[in-house]
Amino acid sequence: MKNILHISILAYLLALTLPDEVLAQTPSDGLMMDRGQICFAALYTHDTWDEYWEGTLKRTNGNIGTLTRQTVMPMFAFGLTDRLNVIASLPWVRTQASGGQMRGVSGFQDIGLWVKGTAYNNTLGSGTLSLFGVLGMTLPTSDYLEDYAPFSLGLGCPDFSIRATPQYQLDMGLYVRGTAAYMIRGNATIERDYYYTTHGVYSDQVDMPNAMSYGATLGYWLFDYTLQVEASYDGLNSYGGHDIRRQDAGFPSNKMDFTRAGLFMHYFPSFFPGFGIVGQYNQILTGRNVGQSTAFTAGITYQFGLWGAGETVNTVN
Amino acid sequence: MKKITILPAILLAFATILLFQACDEDLPTNYSFDPYEFSSLDENGGQWVPNLLTSSSQIGIPAPTDAGSAEFQAELAALKTLSAQLTGEQQAAVDYWGGDGLIRWNEIARELSAKYNLAPAPNADGSYPAPDPANPANYPLFPFAHPPYSARAFAYWAAAQYDALITTWHYKYQFNRPAAFNADGSIKTHLPLNDLPGYPSEGAVIAAVSKDILSAMYPLEKDYIAQKATEHQNSLMWAGMSVASDITGGDSLGRAVGKVFRMRAASDGMKFAQTPKPVSDSIRDDAQARLGWHWVNQETPPRPVGITPLYSKVKLWCVPNVESVRPVGPPAPNSPDFQTAANELNDVLDNLTNDQRKIANFWSDGLGTYTPPGHWNRFACESIVKNRYNPLRAARVLAYLNMAMQDAGIACWDAKYYFHYPRPIQAMPGFKTILGTPNFPSYTSGHSMFSAAGAEVLSYIFPADAATFQNYSEEAALSRLYGGIHYRFDIADGNTSGKAVGQYTIDRMKVDGGE
Repeated sequence: MKNILHISILAYLLALTLPDEVLAQTPSDGLMMDRGQICFAALYTHDTWDEYWEGTLKRTNGNIGTLTRQTVMPMFAFGLTDRLNVIASLPWVRTQASGGQMRGVSGFQDIGLWVKGTAYNNTLGSGTLSLFGVLGMTLPTSDYLEDYAPFSLGLGCPDFSIRATPQYQLDMGLYVRGTAAYMIRGNATIERDYYYTTHGVYSDQVDMPNAMSYGATLGYWLFDYTLQVEASYDGLNSYGGHDIRRQDAGFPSNKMDFTRAGLFMHYFPSFFPGFGIVGQYNQILTGRNVGQSTAFTAGITYQFGLWGAGETVNTVN
Repeated sequence: MKKITILPAILLAFATILLFQACDEDLPTNYSFDPYEFSSLDENGGQWVPNLLTSSSQIGIPAPTDAGSAEFQAELAALKTLSAQLTGEQQAAVDYWGGDGLIRWNEIARELSAKYNLAPAPNADGSYPAPDPANPANYPLFPFAHPPYSARAFAYWAAAQYDALITTWHYKYQFNRPAAFNADGSIKTHLPLNDLPGYPSEGAVIAAVSKDILSAMYPLEKDYIAQKATEHQNSLMWAGMSVASDITGGDSLGRAVGKVFRMRAASDGMKFAQTPKPVSDSIRDDAQARLGWHWVNQETPPRPVGITPLYSKVKLWCVPNVESVRPVGPPAPNSPDFQTAANELNDVLDNLTNDQRKIANFWSDGLGTYTPPGHWNRFACESIVKNRYNPLRAARVLAYLNMAMQDAGIACWDAKYYFHYPRPIQAMPGFKTILGTPNFPSYTSGHSMFSAAGAEVLSYIFPADAATFQNYSEEAALSRLYGGIHYRFDIADGNTSGKAVGQYTIDRMKVDGGE
C-alpha cells in the first residue's frame, strides 16, 4: 500500500534520459582525426526542465519542481587511420528535483563506443562533399536504477546505433550537414517483476523501443579556422513504447520523442595549439514523454599527435 | 578511394543487430502453466460452509435433463462436432483458460487493479478532482484502485467464487449427471479429464461470478469482461469438457451468487470511506486533541483528503471488530523512541545498499501496479498450481487469503486514522525517500499488515512453504523502511496486528468443512 499510493508523488517520475543523443556530439559531427591523432574532451552539461509531456499533455508537477541533470563527460577520439576513428565516452550524471521529497541520484551512466569512418570525401565545385558512417553502442556501466523516473541516470539498456552523416563544406568555411541514426535497444532489467504499460507484464525485463534520431546543421568556420559555429535542429522518434498515463510515473519504455534546436561553438585559440573550448546550448522544442529541457554545455578539448604525421590542430575535411 | 573500408564493419553491425532482435522474445503477460489433473476432487465439497450464503442450497438451479434423455444425447452430439476440429483461435482460448479459468480470472482482477491504480491529477487551481462512481468515465476515472479498493475487489471476487463453487459442488453431486466426456468417450477433449459430475459447469460458474463482480468493481471494463467471460465459457465446449446446458446452469448459478455478494458490497460502508473534507478534517482534529499530533499530506499541491479515512468502518469478513486487532500505538513524535526510529531511517537511507534498494523496489507494489494484495494473490495462484488444487479448493485459498487481506486493510486503516501519525517526510525535516510516500498516515504499515495476514493464511494452507511466505512477509514489510516511507515501529506493529487478523481468518477456515 503504501506505495501504492504513492500517489502522488509518483507522478513525477518520468524519465528523460537519452544516452546517445544528449552527449554524443562527436559521433554525429563532421570531423575526423588524422591517423595517430588523439583528442580528449571534458564536457560539463547543465540540463533543467520544469515542464514535461505526460504522453502529449504538457504539464508541470509540483512534486518535481525543476529537475536538474548535471553531466560530466570525459570523451576521447582517436585516429586509427585518416579515415577511421574510434570514439569513447563515459558520462557521470547527477539528478535532483527542487520539489517533492524524493532522493536524486548520481553515478556513471553508459559507456559509449563508436567507430567512425569516412565513406566518401571528394571535392565538388568549390567545396568538399563527405559522407561519414558511424557504428556505436552504449552499455550501462554502474548498477543504476532505470525504473526511477525522472531521476534515473539512463535508460539502462544496451543501445546499438548506425549513423550516416553527409556534409558539404565550401572552401570558404560554410557547411551544411545532415545526420540520421537508427538505434536498436536491448532490454532493460528493472528491480520488480510485474509492471503495467498498456497491459501487465510478468517479468523484470523491459522491451525498449528502438528509435531514430535525425538532425540538420548549418555551420561556419571563422577566423582562419579557429572558430567553429553551428546552429542545429534535431530530433528523436521512438518506434513503439507507450505514453505515460495521466498522473502516472515515467517508465523506461515510454515512447520518447522530441525536436530540439541548438547552438554550438568550438574555439581553437591560435596561441595555444591543440586546445579548444566548447560551448553548446540546446532547447527542446516539442516532445512526448520527455521533459522540455534547456541544456548548456561547456568544455575543453585537447588534441595532439600520438604517432603519424598529423597536424596538431583540428583537421577539417 | 577507400570508401569501401567501412562496409564490412557495417555489415557486421547489421548482423549483430539482427541477432539481437531475434533474441527479443515476447515478455510474459500472464503466468505460464500447463492445465493439470486435480490432486483431489473434494466430493464432499457441497457440504462445506459458505461465508455469505446461508447454505450450499440457498441458490437454486433447474434440474438438468437426464443423462439418458434425447436432449442430453443431442447436446453430446453437438459437442462432439464442436470439439472435433478447433481453429487456431479456439485452441488458443482452450490453452489460455485451461478449463475452470480461476487463475486467469485472478490475473484479470490483478490487471484491472493495476490499470486503475492511478491517483487523480491536480486541477490547474491546485484542487483535486475525485472519481465519481455515478460517472465512471469522467476523469478521474472510477475507480481509483488503491490498496483498500483493490483489497476489497479481490475479496468480493474470491469470496463469491468460493460460495458459488461450494454451491456448484452441492448440485454436481446432487444431480450427478456425468461430464460430457465421461458420458460419451468418443468426444474429443483438449484438457486433462476428471470425474467431477458435469452439471453445472464449474468453469461457467467462475466466469459468471467473475463477470458479475468485476464488472461492478470496474464498471468501465464491462464490455471487456463480458467478452472474456463469453470466450471462457465457449472454450469449455471447444475443449470438449461441457455441454451447453452445463454452461447455462453454471452461468445462472454464478450470476445469482454474484448478486448476493453485490448486495453486501452495496451496503458494506465503502461508499462512505472516501470522505468529504469536513469529515476528514474532523477526524484529524480529533486525533490532534487526543494525541497532540496529526498527519498532513506533503504533496504539492497538498491533497486535501487522504485515501479512505473511513475504510475502518467497512464491514469485516472474519475479524469481529477493528478494536480487537488495534495495535498499541506509536511513540510520540520527538520522543526518544521516535528519535531512535528516525535515526535508523536516516542511517539506512544514507547508506542504502543495492540489496536494500532492490527489496524496496521489488515489493513497492505502488501506483500502476496490482497492489500488495495483488502480489499475494500471485503467490497463492502459484501455490495452487503447484499443489494441483481443484477449483473449489483453489477458491477456498483465494477466498480466505483475500478476506484476510481486506480485513487487514480495514484494521490497518483504523490504526492509520485513529493514530493519525506523521510520515517520515513530515516529521523529519529535509528527509528524502526513494519511494513515493502514500497519501495516508504512517502507522501502521499497510504492506506489513496485508503481508502478515496473507502469509499467515497461506502458511496455514501450505505448511511446506510456510518459511517462504514468512520470509516474503518480512521482506515486504522491511521494504517500506528501505524506501524511507515507514518507521520500524509502523512495520513491527503492523506485522503483529496483521498476524492477529490472519488468525481470526484461520479460525473461520478451521470450521468450514474444507480441512
